[in-house]
Amino acid sequence: MVELVTRIVGSPGDGVISSGDILTLAAARSGRYVSTYRSFPTEIRGVDQSLYQLRISSKKILTSADEVDVLIAYNERFLRDNISDLKRGGVLIFDSSGNDCRFEEYENFTKYFVPITFLAEEFGSERAKNMVALGVLLGLTPNFEINDQVKADISKKYETKGSEVVKSNLQAFDKAYQWTRQNLEKEAFLEKLAIEPSGKKLVMSGCEAMALGALVAGCRFYSGYPITPATEIMEFLAQEMPRLSGHVIQCEDEIAAITAALGASFSGVKAMTATSGPGLSLMSEAIGLAAMAELPVVIVDVQRGGPSTGLPTKTEQSDLNLAIYGTHGDTPKIVLAPINVEDSFYQTVKAFNYAEKYQVPVIILSDVSLGERRECIDQFDPTALEVVNRLKPENIDDKVPFSRYTKTYSGISPMTTPGEAGGAYIATGLEHTEDSSPSSKPHVHTAMTEKRFKKLETAQSEFVSARKYGPDDAKFGIISWGSTSGPVLEAIDIAQKQGYSIQALYPRIIYPFPTKWINDFLSNKEILLIVERNFTGQFANTIVYRCTSMNKDIQIHNLMKYNGEPFTTNEIFSKIDRIIKGQYLKFTTHQ
Amino acid sequence: MALKNAEQYRSSTKPTWCKDCGDYKVLESLTAAMAELQLEPHDMVLTAGVGCASRLPFYTNTYGFHTVHGRALPAAIGIKVANKERTVISVGGDGDGFSIGGNHFIHASRKNPNITYIIMDNEIYALTKGQNSPTSHEDLLTKINPYEVIEERINPVLMALSFNTSFIARGYCEDQDQLTDMIIQAIKHTGFSFVHVLSPCTQYNFKVTYESIRKRIRQLPDKHDTSDRITSMKYAMTQEPLYMGIFYKETRPTLHDKLEHLRGMALGAVGNPSEYTIKDVMKQFE
Repeated sequence: MVELVTRIVGSPGDGVISSGDILTLAAARSGRYVSTYRSFPTEIRGVDQSLYQLRISSKKILTSADEVDVLIAYNERFLRDNISDLKRGGVLIFDSSGNDCRFEEYENFTKYFVPITFLAEEFGSERAKNMVALGVLLGLTPNFEINDQVKADISKKYETKGSEVVKSNLQAFDKAYQWTRQNLEKEAFLEKLAIEPSGKKLVMSGCEAMALGALVAGCRFYSGYPITPATEIMEFLAQEMPRLSGHVIQCEDEIAAITAALGASFSGVKAMTATSGPGLSLMSEAIGLAAMAELPVVIVDVQRGGPSTGLPTKTEQSDLNLAIYGTHGDTPKIVLAPINVEDSFYQTVKAFNYAEKYQVPVIILSDVSLGERRECIDQFDPTALEVVNRLKPENIDDKVPFSRYTKTYSGISPMTTPGEAGGAYIATGLEHTEDSSPSSKPHVHTAMTEKRFKKLETAQSEFVSARKYGPDDAKFGIISWGSTSGPVLEAIDIAQKQGYSIQALYPRIIYPFPTKWINDFLSNKEILLIVERNFTGQFANTIVYRCTSMNKDIQIHNLMKYNGEPFTTNEIFSKIDRIIKGQYLKFTTHQ
Repeated sequence: MALKNAEQYRSSTKPTWCKDCGDYKVLESLTAAMAELQLEPHDMVLTAGVGCASRLPFYTNTYGFHTVHGRALPAAIGIKVANKERTVISVGGDGDGFSIGGNHFIHASRKNPNITYIIMDNEIYALTKGQNSPTSHEDLLTKINPYEVIEERINPVLMALSFNTSFIARGYCEDQDQLTDMIIQAIKHTGFSFVHVLSPCTQYNFKVTYESIRKRIRQLPDKHDTSDRITSMKYAMTQEPLYMGIFYKETRPTLHDKLEHLRGMALGAVGNPSEYTIKDVMKQFE
């Protein structure tokens, strides 16, 4: 696998994010795989750094990598903050305009001191210094051959700002490229680097992937309330949904958003809402309504740090308990957790299929790091994907009231749409009989609760089992969920090179809880490591509670992270390494 | 289609309302309005939140969505946007509509969906056996306000006028012909129509009786100009007497009109293609 990992750091206003986006798009359009990580300061004009990391590869990749080959820094402080992540033999590009620091203390790197800001002024405008940086990077990697795509993306990025801006940015990029070829010494690794392209790619963020998945699945109604970091889904759908004859409405709060989505679903249209933790908390009551009235609906939660307002721009996987247990009463629902951008797309299509087929609310758990990051996915044919629609009655006798909640073997009852003669019924949050009359009789509540959960039983029998990675005979198992699975799988690759045999299980269906898959997975394991980004071990607790009694001798370890950042591959590998080297006593977490 | 009478819009479910509840009369007026308009039951959707009045959908043979407390309006908006051919009517009580669901009334008025909202105001939480509601009289002592009521009551019609709800009327459940006519006009109105109905609870609210309402109400003058919002506000200001009739109506673009306009613009931005599919959506990611 040939790849290049680049990190750009600067202050807000240095254009870090714009240049990163342009390079990402260009690399993807040229047929390479790309995975990115962006970090914004929370305040728009704060002193925090803007960071953009992108990994460009000839093969499919799971993360944006821990260590970088090239570090581009616009100021001294951020260079020092990031130098520890630069690989030995890596390349450092420093904006030396007005700063003659030569960083003698940092050895083993190729250092380029480029007066990026001064060059930008010379080439036209100080504001174009991010384009100069791109020109320098590509000037150092002549075999990468994506200049045309970069220029096309520069034009696209700045077209709304007028032709003058486009021209000056293109000029700065071109001149910097030429300047680099003429003035900088060649660095062997970069000079020869050629990352093979492979097939056509689509490049999108995790949020866009979910929005696209919804459209492909036939979603034609979206209601939402703005919230970081989920708003990008609504922005995308607001642009596209009307063109496909669907509708997007902005609501006064998350409660209205989900109730409107339920209204649309009752009305026969596939509906979705998206939010983050605070919104999911508010939606909990109506999620129960969806379960009770058996209305299909998809709810996306792009998780952020909590509780309360928490860390709106930082990532966490701490809404699992809320998603699974958050609604009062016995509430059948399905919770999915995609692991990367491509999976975000496919799991969203599945979310609609499950919602429609089993007439339940389906929650998708993404998170800041996954929702915002851009990755490549292979081009696909949207018309070739399976799309499921709700069960309709075969024939309706309009002489008798329609029995909407008829008990069936699968638990799934045919559903009518307003406008359909003879199909009228009242969808209700009250417990009800098969013909939707309110009832609090003991036998009715018993039978109808069982009916609603029968659907989950049917669903579980139809689910394809959880994915595994690594050799089946490994005695060391790792279980992870959601976006944490990327670094887990990469850590297993590293471990394999060290001679460790490890297998991972990463269920994408988190609820109904994958008890059987986990028990099967654990049957031959001696050590289990559970990795997730929260303090309380939300997934681990349920695994320990439900699964490990089958295998009482198993050693259980946890790795939890709750600082608002995603896991690095190295953090997971070093935990594996320490466990194997016996630096932990056998203990069963948790509490 | 054989002509339907009001009875033919009723379901076989027997109302759980107490004897003498004003809501029976509202149900009668509503079904009479449906009959007058000769609407097909399966072409209508009633939505409701939770409360005595919110049970009404169960007593008709239309489609219905009995949601959770306070959420009749957002559900109705979702239904109407997704299925614009249906006649959508939300019903509920004063607690459901003005307390827990109060926010939705403001924003439904802003969106102006082509739906009707009927509030049966008994000035009390009756399903939970008598607690003060946002429209309760300041003198109404209940078990949760045993000494004194410390909050002031709201004025629903004045509120609606300030939100610029596009059709605003107030009726009394006993004056059934007037109420039926109001509901007919509300349903026929293109936009968000609000009918505030005085519907007493004889079981828990002893301050509000059929007799006391009769004494309290007065009709808006025949010559009242329903396009004059300021004058309507003046009539709405007084709680004693309480004016009855159609206060205000205005025809302006509905939510549906605006969404259609927006759709035209969205397609215009990509050059009005004769067909636009998911493959066109995906091009931006290539």
